[in-house]
Amino acid sequence: MALGCGPAPSGGPAVVTLPVSVLGAEGQVLRRQLARFAELRPDIRVVQRPTPDAADQRHQLYVQWLNAGASDPDIVQLDAIWTPEFAAAGWILDLGRFRPATDSFFPATIAANRWRGRLYAMPWFVDVGMLYWRTDLMRAPPATFAELERSAARAMAAHDLRYGLVWQGARYEGLVTVFSEYLGGFGGRILDGGRVTVSSPAGLRALTTMREEIYRHGIVPPSALTWHEEESRFAFQNGETAFMRNWPYAYALMQDSAESRVAGRYAVTTMPAGPGGRPTAALGGAQLAINARSDQPEAAWSVVEYLTRPEQMLERARGVGQFPTRPALYDDPALARALAIPPAQARAIIEHAEPRPVTPVYTQLSEILQIDLHRALTRQQAPAAALAHAAREMQALLDRVGLGEGGAVAGR
Amino acid sequence: MRGGERGPGSRAPRGTAEEREARLARALVAPALATILLVALFPLLWTVWESVHLHDLRMPWLGRPFVGAANYIEALGDPRFWGALAHTLLFTAATVTLELGLGCVLALAMNRAFRGRALVRAAVLVPWAIPTVVSALLWRFMFEGQSGIANTLLVQAGLVGEPPVWFIRTGLAWVPVVLADVWKTTPFVALLLLAGLQNIDASLYEAARIDGASPWRQFRHVTLPLLKPAILVALIFRTLDAFRVFDLIYVMTGGGPGTSTEPIALYTFNSLLQNLRFGYGSALSVIVFAITFALALGYIRFLGAGLTETRA
Repeated sequence: MALGCGPAPSGGPAVVTLPVSVLGAEGQVLRRQLARFAELRPDIRVVQRPTPDAADQRHQLYVQWLNAGASDPDIVQLDAIWTPEFAAAGWILDLGRFRPATDSFFPATIAANRWRGRLYAMPWFVDVGMLYWRTDLMRAPPATFAELERSAARAMAAHDLRYGLVWQGARYEGLVTVFSEYLGGFGGRILDGGRVTVSSPAGLRALTTMREEIYRHGIVPPSALTWHEEESRFAFQNGETAFMRNWPYAYALMQDSAESRVAGRYAVTTMPAGPGGRPTAALGGAQLAINARSDQPEAAWSVVEYLTRPEQMLERARGVGQFPTRPALYDDPALARALAIPPAQARAIIEHAEPRPVTPVYTQLSEILQIDLHRALTRQQAPAAALAHAAREMQALLDRVGLGEGGAVAGR
Repeated sequence: MRGGERGPGSRAPRGTAEEREARLARALVAPALATILLVALFPLLWTVWESVHLHDLRMPWLGRPFVGAANYIEALGDPRFWGALAHTLLFTAATVTLELGLGCVLALAMNRAFRGRALVRAAVLVPWAIPTVVSALLWRFMFEGQSGIANTLLVQAGLVGEPPVWFIRTGLAWVPVVLADVWKTTPFVALLLLAGLQNIDASLYEAARIDGASPWRQFRHVTLPLLKPAILVALIFRTLDAFRVFDLIYVMTGGGPGTSTEPIALYTFNSLLQNLRFGYGSALSVIVFAITFALALGYIRFLGAGLTETRA
């Protein structure tokens, strides 16, 4: 390990360490890309560090490394919601000095990587929440939540489906991403700067809509309140439901007709919107950032810059189906050949992507929200009371760590 | 050492030998003692030290100042902490009672002479041998969804009309959790009690029978008092284990719905390792330690009298 951290002896190659998932297709793509990089830049040697795939474990490992002031790894791969946390802690470099061309990326992916006006990470690939709908059960997807309820109910009755719509309702991060899409659909936001704004009329409408989909309209099964991504995908690919909210990964998997009963009979679009809002897609994906203690920031930047080039993004799309973060690529016929989803559909959804609250304490805020949302959805609490409670606790947390601005606004 | 208290003049050769022996004993015990200090006391003191500091790995800009009892005060004013404590007590009371009752019945049955007894004794241990995470997953699958085994059986038996979704109902979510724990740990209790039963002299039952004692009175006045030490051991082990329950609930409900099945160990884990609040999480750990320690002392005090009596 220690060999990787020292400054390069003059003449020898600069060593840059990169923690990555080395498993499966993703690891293979990256190995090919790094092999080509080695030919291009013989002065830099990239050493891969195998790290866990589970986000929680990876986060914990990074925090331990960076908090201890280690200069290794030089590059870190961050989830969309970690950049502000790492930036505020002073663990990753302000990338401004490398003058990255931010205009050629989707604005939402850049916004998610800014903290206090500075850019700390480069968007590597993008994930968005989307509505999967069955093209054999209806002619067009719903544009509003009311239409969604109607067509889900109609499809259930006409085609004897078990469910109308499925989403991720277990008490975990996924629930907050789903809720943030409903919330954006009604024009609300979780956070406005240092002020918690989730307990608003829009928040109430969003949470009430989710709750009524279960108990009033009966289109979402109560068991969805224990579901993660995969349970929803199984329901959709077994043909049990007309709609599903999920991430892009499910698209290619469900085209395999050996496993899927709906292969070739579905398409994707944005989640619907209600009065006063616009369709919203939760933004996920991966970013590359540079360790603030790195001995080789310039060499590390060369690696980051190389991996985020258009042709490398195309290769990732081809190899593992991940969406490029550069809008220009969506006009490239090569992307249409690489992705299972038609690029125009993907792009239309990504343009509605909204970052989750950009704050260093996002994970703690999300935990509070998860609990209160789940309480409301499992009918332990009324939606208004749950949101008010969440807002109070979230605001108290922001104020305690010096990131808050004034009291929680209720009923605004 | 008594030998050391005597004047130097009166020191008998035997005393010196005693002293030497004592020195040797101390030297022999020292490595073990040092190990205990290192692995038990040091982490404990470290946790106590952390618990009086503000230490938030996610917010290094706050520093690591000494905050006195602030973390403890926060815990005492935190409804989620009190909820978690209540859930833990509920879980402990429910599982320990059921396990002790069922374990006693199982032990009495296994204590009888019948064909294939050795096989039954081995078979009873199977649930205990399965790793908790695996058995937790098994039980989750049985109760999950509207078409799990549990719901299918209940509907077939006509006990329920509409199959419930166990894990989204505050009260119902406890049922699979408690069942899984009872299923897994009853064999352990049964074996402990069986060992106790086998230590009881058969002639006592003979005497009781001759005096005309009914089976119930034999159980009440012979078995139970003599089984007390074994019961005490089972109680201590099970109570302390149940109080620190973590993996079972982590896998089965994750503490949900909301936080209504969250035990104190899971909340501590969340604070420490999810939210990386080392100070607050350590304060919670210290509180859990204090409670389990008090419980253990209490058991030994109230039931320990019996323990020493029967040994004498």
